[in-house]
Amino acid sequence: CMLVVTATLSACKNYLDVAPQAKITEDQIASDPNQAKNLVIGIYNVFYIGGFEPDIDSFQFVIMTDIASDDADKGSSPDDYGDAKQIDNLQTSASNGVVNNVWTGYYQGVARANQALDKLQNAQFDATTKNALIGEARFLRAYFYFNLVRLYGGVPLLDKLPSASEANQDKYQTRATADDIYKFIVSDLDFAVTNLPDKGATDVGRATKSAAQALEAKVYLYMKNYQKAYDLSKAVMDGGKYSLVKDYSLIWRQKAVNGDGGNNNAESIFEIQAGINKSCTAGINLYTVSQGPRAGGKFGWADLGFGFNNPSESLLSEYEAGDVRKAATVITIQDHGTVLWDGFRIPSRDSVQNGFYSYKAYHSRTAEDNCGGSTDRLPKQVRILRYADILLINAEAAFQLGRIDEAKTNLNLVRTRAKLPAATASLQTIWHERRMELAEEHDRFFDIVRQDAVMPGRAAAAFAAHGKTWAAKYALFPIPQTQIDLSGGRLKQNPGY
Amino acid sequence: QNAPVKGKVTDAATGEALIGVSVSIKGTTTGAQTDVNGAFTLTAPLDATLVFTYIGYTTLSLPVNNQTQLTVKLQAEAKELQQVVVIGYGTQRKRDVTGSVASVNGNLLAKQPVQTATQALQGKVSGVQVLSSGRPNSSPILRIRGTGSVLAGANPLYVVDGVLTDDIRNINSNDILSLDVLKDASAAIYGVRGANGVVIITTKKGKSGPAVVSYDATVGFREVANQVKLADRAQYVDYLKDASPTKIASDDKAPLTIPGTTDWAKEVTRRAFTTNHNISVAGGGETNTYFISANYFDDQGVIKTNGFQRFTLRANNDINISKKLKFSEQLSLSRAAERTIDLNAIYGNVYRAAPIIPAIQDGKYGNTSAWSNVSNPLLQLDKANRFTLGNRVQGNVALDYKPISSLTLHSAFNADIKFNNQKNYQYQFLSDNNTFTVGGGNQNQNNSSLFVQNDDSYQYTWDNTITFDKSYGNHHITVLGGMVTEKFKSNFLNGTRQDVPANQDQWYLNLGNPDVNAKDDNGGGLFTRQSFVGRVNYGYANKYLISGSFRRDGSSKFNQHWGNFYTVGGGWVISEESFMKDNHIFDQLKLRASYGKLGNDNIDQALYIITATSNLPYYFNNGTLNLGSVIQDIKNTNLKWETTAQFDLGLDFAFLNNRLSGEVDYYNKKVSNALTKVGLPGILGDPDNTYITNAASYSNKGFEVGLKWNDKINDKLSYNVGANISYNKNNVIGLNGGQALFGGGINSRQVTKTDNGHPIGSYFVLQSTGVFQNAAEVAAAPTNSFEANKIGGLKYADIDNNGIIDANDRIYAGSYQPKYYGGFNFGVNYNSFDLSADFTGNWGNKIYNGKKNSRGTENDNIEASYADSRFTTAKPSNTDPNVITGSTPPSTYFIESGAYLRLNNLTLGYTLKSELLKRANISRLRFYLTSQNLFTLKRYSGSSPELFNDDVNTGITEAGIDNVNYPVTRTFAFGVNLQF
Repeated sequence: CMLVVTATLSACKNYLDVAPQAKITEDQIASDPNQAKNLVIGIYNVFYIGGFEPDIDSFQFVIMTDIASDDADKGSSPDDYGDAKQIDNLQTSASNGVVNNVWTGYYQGVARANQALDKLQNAQFDATTKNALIGEARFLRAYFYFNLVRLYGGVPLLDKLPSASEANQDKYQTRATADDIYKFIVSDLDFAVTNLPDKGATDVGRATKSAAQALEAKVYLYMKNYQKAYDLSKAVMDGGKYSLVKDYSLIWRQKAVNGDGGNNNAESIFEIQAGINKSCTAGINLYTVSQGPRAGGKFGWADLGFGFNNPSESLLSEYEAGDVRKAATVITIQDHGTVLWDGFRIPSRDSVQNGFYSYKAYHSRTAEDNCGGSTDRLPKQVRILRYADILLINAEAAFQLGRIDEAKTNLNLVRTRAKLPAATASLQTIWHERRMELAEEHDRFFDIVRQDAVMPGRAAAAFAAHGKTWAAKYALFPIPQTQIDLSGGRLKQNPGY
Repeated sequence: QNAPVKGKVTDAATGEALIGVSVSIKGTTTGAQTDVNGAFTLTAPLDATLVFTYIGYTTLSLPVNNQTQLTVKLQAEAKELQQVVVIGYGTQRKRDVTGSVASVNGNLLAKQPVQTATQALQGKVSGVQVLSSGRPNSSPILRIRGTGSVLAGANPLYVVDGVLTDDIRNINSNDILSLDVLKDASAAIYGVRGANGVVIITTKKGKSGPAVVSYDATVGFREVANQVKLADRAQYVDYLKDASPTKIASDDKAPLTIPGTTDWAKEVTRRAFTTNHNISVAGGGETNTYFISANYFDDQGVIKTNGFQRFTLRANNDINISKKLKFSEQLSLSRAAERTIDLNAIYGNVYRAAPIIPAIQDGKYGNTSAWSNVSNPLLQLDKANRFTLGNRVQGNVALDYKPISSLTLHSAFNADIKFNNQKNYQYQFLSDNNTFTVGGGNQNQNNSSLFVQNDDSYQYTWDNTITFDKSYGNHHITVLGGMVTEKFKSNFLNGTRQDVPANQDQWYLNLGNPDVNAKDDNGGGLFTRQSFVGRVNYGYANKYLISGSFRRDGSSKFNQHWGNFYTVGGGWVISEESFMKDNHIFDQLKLRASYGKLGNDNIDQALYIITATSNLPYYFNNGTLNLGSVIQDIKNTNLKWETTAQFDLGLDFAFLNNRLSGEVDYYNKKVSNALTKVGLPGILGDPDNTYITNAASYSNKGFEVGLKWNDKINDKLSYNVGANISYNKNNVIGLNGGQALFGGGINSRQVTKTDNGHPIGSYFVLQSTGVFQNAAEVAAAPTNSFEANKIGGLKYADIDNNGIIDANDRIYAGSYQPKYYGGFNFGVNYNSFDLSADFTGNWGNKIYNGKKNSRGTENDNIEASYADSRFTTAKPSNTDPNVITGSTPPSTYFIESGAYLRLNNLTLGYTLKSELLKRANISRLRFYLTSQNLFTLKRYSGSSPELFNDDVNTGITEAGIDNVNYPVTRTFAFGVNLQF
């Protein structure tokens, strides 16, 4: 074009059509089936976000599930992280940054899933492969919505990715009911159960048929559909692909010890995968380091983290004598030095800010992999669904259906592993067991709200024991004020905020 | 009957031969030019009339009257009248201009010991605000007639000899012939890039005649000016005892602190050496002219380890291939070496590091971080080496063909090519007893790291224009038409490795650990533009002037490529009217007006195209890496340029024999479709929940006045005085239905709000109303949601009267944009001495003292003045609180006046005149002393009221937050000008 001095406009038209450099365009992806496959991997990658930015299963999710509950205190220094302090003290405001970051984080996940589903529609695969990929995307989308609906209640239901201009429609900018969200989750999981290959027939770490059944069982427990919860958890148990890790403390290790525990262990049904890539980006941002023991200005050692999510007095006092899970769940700081399982020694009590830290979030700097000493994205694999949870879901559903013996059997499988004597099955004993078994695993806040709906007064009692005053409105977090503003006021706030 | 006519043309006043005067036979296209001796020959009818035209001289018509040997004397035009300004793709006599164009002589810029010419522009031109920094190799920030963009850059376009650029740091000021500023809509000749005004730089050319050799040099030093005094040991300990009694009680005698006081600002700064050497040779023969120069500029930074060196070469040649065809080239090479520092980290820590901790002792550093304070800034400087080498080739080759005297065909190929390489090395050190006087804390670098990057880019523009210029009796018409093609391409390649050895000879990627934390990145950019330009200037009897220009621009940055931009202008030279001419009041009086539409497309390429992010890792099968991709950035696929409409009304005048001259302008500028980041609902899943779209409009309105007085008392004494002042009112008039932009980040809190009805970057903070004096006041006060109310704490106004002090109680509290800015200068020549002084300043603006507000904990050091004035029970204050920490919210307490007046440059020179010099063939020898920023009168308590924030993300909306400034410097230099 430049050679033609008297060029006309049309002659130069192509000269101005410049493609973006070093970027793959949407159009290219739409036309390449392998790229559509990559979009599914891209959904899993969203698990790595977090820190102080949009968050899925990282630090801020921990704040909204553990620190918000009676299992944990905020930790760190008293004034550190005002937004976390609000949540810990049951004073969450609609302008709380954590509440907004978890909202935007989960919707990033939903958007990635919807984007992949959109491109998979036209991808040229055989039906089995294609439906398996769709099943993975729908499993993950269901997981995201399950957390959204438990945190916020009914939320906007996006079953596809709208463009910036379409997004302004009321159907996207207003809240669906919680029931609609649950129905949507169930339809996604039904598809996943039907179309996903099971454990052993697919890559370790991908969503499986059993994972979909397990998640759906849990979803039905929240819907109080005990029959479905029972059936689906039973299906996982009958499948025979899972068993309890013998030594409870090994569940959260990276490496198995004598074949027991470690990443993707016998008990793991769905687990966030991590690894060591050259650029140290394949781990959950700040998940481990935010919960690590903190020196807090007391010099003498290079500390392990920011010191958040401290196991509470309420939790510590509920452990029965002899429960091996206490020592596996809690790092208790000793007056004259604390030696961790890998031999790491935390100095004397006065070199450490807080008295108790989560052991389940601990990742050894010496005995487990890390990426060149960088601690922001330690490759800690968070266990999202594990077999003990399924046993307890089944126990609870069975109990509600009057199958007391089955309930008792499952309950005591979990208790036996914890080196505790057998107990009788009741809602109290099963719920007690859930708390002990799943402490610091980001389940407690949801569980307590769920139990309160089954047996009103439970939440108030639990928080009273924790030194805090419960009110009904806390069952749901506020819809972030930023999001209400951006919707032009069409998103309506939860009652009480 | 034709006969050969010979003659010689000289200057009527000096008798000097005039070279290159065009001689034409009236009514024909036949003509000739005078040679180096001023002589011409042409064949003409003996009754013909010859017309002699020469730039800067009055055109003369002379009948031949049968003579064959003519002696012609041309009268120089009055200086003001002969001034020529560059207006883009051509020049125009200043007297014919209908727009608002300021022209500055290069000599005025070269006399200041600064790197970049635009810094020397400070306070010189009305309507042009210049912000400069003491940081070596910083690019001055220019705002022409206010701030007109938030996202697309508010700096003007620079045109250096036809090369369009945003960076002129490679240009040696001594090479500059003139710098012209298009302030109004006449910048529309640059279309989609004219909205922020245009600065056109023309470099020098040689003149036919013997070679002139010039050597100009300065040697001097720079030092920190007006460093804020921070609390010393005694003040700090007193403060801590009060603010954090437990801290000082337990740790005062700890091994961390060592007797004596540390002045951290002193520890990291130095008196810096600066020098500038420039040599040039200019001259020419009958068919060619040349200008060749070389320059070495060395600017050691006042912060330790920081520094900049630049070497430039220039060769400008004009070659007349034939009478009709001219070839020319302007070429500059520059090579710049720079060692940078992490300013935010270093100077942020200087303000906060405890003075009881030594900076360094016996080779071991004081451990500020173990004092749970900030990092030791001296250690940060010593343990990093950030080096950049930049090479740049810039220039053009051009052909001019004049088939007839009124027509010029011009074709120029302009190129700007850059190669940079960068190496950042971080030394390894631990927080142990080998590094520190006492180990501990969290200042460490467990692994060394090396970052290497190579960049290259080229940009070419190919200009093809046709200019027709002719007078018919009283009519003078100039028509320009042309086409411009432009392409920009860039590429970068970088890598990061850790555990690279500390030996500088081994700072290469292949010596680092290839498997851990190893990153490589490669990317690039590409965009094109295609333009059609046109301009018509018409003048009748030098009295009535009309002009119009047009540019149709196609830019690859937008889906809809093409846009049209234009300006129309008119002028009435009242002084040429007979009724004015006769009364001899005005030497010149011109009324002019212009209106036009301009654009701004200064954003990244391909922002409207939806792309994927690839290679996102995820692991399956216990350690198998899989790479995923996502499409998540929401884009506006209909993105377009920003549009500015500008009206200008001006008056140019000169009277008292041209001794007093000046101009007055009124302008009204409106930017619409301004690019802005708009918040997106989280449900769309965009990672930063914003996207870029055209959703704002801004207005700038103002007045400018510029005055000059020149007088020559006698042969020994002459003097000149100049002054200019500009008033600007900036206003956001339509921001996306009320979605305000927030900026700031002092202790993670917003400080500014850009919203309708207020200037861009206005402060939006709590209103502080004093200090709590007693418990009764605390008890009666509204609850503070930021920090607990306490005696000695700040009180805030409960604006919404709801009993809680929170974000809803913020008010607008001014902005950094000055209401008035300008400067004045004077110069005196007496005998062999010359003295000049330039002042600059502004008023009517506010500064947010972010440095004072940026305190993490009670352990952070404080300003000495605050240490004395703060509230204590023994000495209550109602203005200054007892302690400022990270939880102290932004408030009006931190807002101060930004008004200042600075003696920007003071120069005293002495020119040697002696027979001795003449015998040595030295035509001029001058020595001088010069000082930059000798003093500043200010009300602001921080270091400098001139804030410099050139960050692309924060520089505009957070311009008034004093938080990242390089120390302001004062320069003293000795200089010499030698010519032979």
